[in-house]
Amino acid sequence: MGVDLRTLADEDVMQFVRRGDARAFEVIYERHSSAAFSLAYRMMGTRSGAEDVTQDAFLSLWRSGGRYDRARGSVRTWVLGIVHNRAIDALRRSTVHSKRRAGDEGIEERFEARERTDVEAARREESGTVRTALASLPADQSQVIELAYFGGFTHTEIADMLEAPVGTVKGRMRLGLKKMRSQLGEGQVAL
Amino acid sequence: MNDHARWEDVAGAYVLNAMPADERQAFEQHLVNCATCQAEVDELLPAAEALPMASPPMLPPPALKDRIMAEVEREAALLAQAGAGADRPEPARPRRERRGFWRLSGWRLAPVAAALLIAGVLAGTALDGDGTRTIDFEGQATAQLEVDGDRATLVAENMPAPPEGRVYEVWLMPEGSTTPRPTDVLFTPRSDGSAVAAIPGSVDDVSQVLITDEPMGGSDEPTGELLMSAELS
Repeated sequence: MGVDLRTLADEDVMQFVRRGDARAFEVIYERHSSAAFSLAYRMMGTRSGAEDVTQDAFLSLWRSGGRYDRARGSVRTWVLGIVHNRAIDALRRSTVHSKRRAGDEGIEERFEARERTDVEAARREESGTVRTALASLPADQSQVIELAYFGGFTHTEIADMLEAPVGTVKGRMRLGLKKMRSQLGEGQVAL
Repeated sequence: MNDHARWEDVAGAYVLNAMPADERQAFEQHLVNCATCQAEVDELLPAAEALPMASPPMLPPPALKDRIMAEVEREAALLAQAGAGADRPEPARPRRERRGFWRLSGWRLAPVAAALLIAGVLAGTALDGDGTRTIDFEGQATAQLEVDGDRATLVAENMPAPPEGRVYEVWLMPEGSTTPRPTDVLFTPRSDGSAVAAIPGSVDDVSQVLITDEPMGGSDEPTGELLMSAELS
């Protein structure tokens, strides 16, 4: 009689989330929490920071489930967009922004995902594809993209940091993304 | 055309969310009437949306899911309890019939528990500027009540975690009363001890805001220890 939520597509599960179904929310959490936490960890640089951002993002998703609009993209894109915004809010509030970034490399408390399922394996492959595309960009382009997206810095902050004109920074962002887009090709990385 | 020239090259920064809020807003207004910029945004967006995949895959700790699900299940139960009246602007029914005074006000739950703790979300809109006053809480944590007009927000840091199986609940003491009124604001601090919570409704006729620890789901009258309180008048 009951619907097996795990067999439904994300967009259909969201219909149940909208009605306040906690089990439906759990399905969405299980499908996307790893990607969400990975992004949060990459941006925040600490486990506690990543947990806070992930928690904020998923509770916000739960409380605003009705705002998901499938016409504007996949549930995963929506979830990751919320995580990204939350992390940026947290980073831009932080008074130790640059200090945090300096300590971002060599994170010790990493507990990487194991390849437990085909889904995880597929995600690893996608991850590798995107990383390769990013790494293949000229260094000055990948640098500004990483500082902006993962560091949460604005174009003017990046320009100050690199002692480069703002226009140059914006141009590098645009060119880098354009190249990435063509490398990834449409449909190769499902979002 | 001049307006377009101003925004040339900015699409990349826009899709990376690397613009200050005011500039972003202005660009979005420009996008409405500029097909060229919109086309460029559309072209670059998939690359930006793929970027999260470049993060090394990590598994969130199981305890994180437990915390999130505990909150979600609690709110789902409240939502189910509120039933069809959940969207109505006025409370459809009290949680439990007691003395008239204990009828819960503002017990509306959709969009899901809008008045519940919104840690981190509200922090970005921390009150400042004219017309805002800050009142220190007295008690076992460092916290302020930021009052803007008849609205108030609790901003705390270094809050201890509530005892196992309990949450903090916000209470309002009406002017001239000695019996606190419960709110639907239930929360636990974040891992760094910080918390931000919007106080529901007007605080115009409130003399005191109090925080106690209560069982999950909250109480209709205080049962736990008073953690801290702030005097409004």
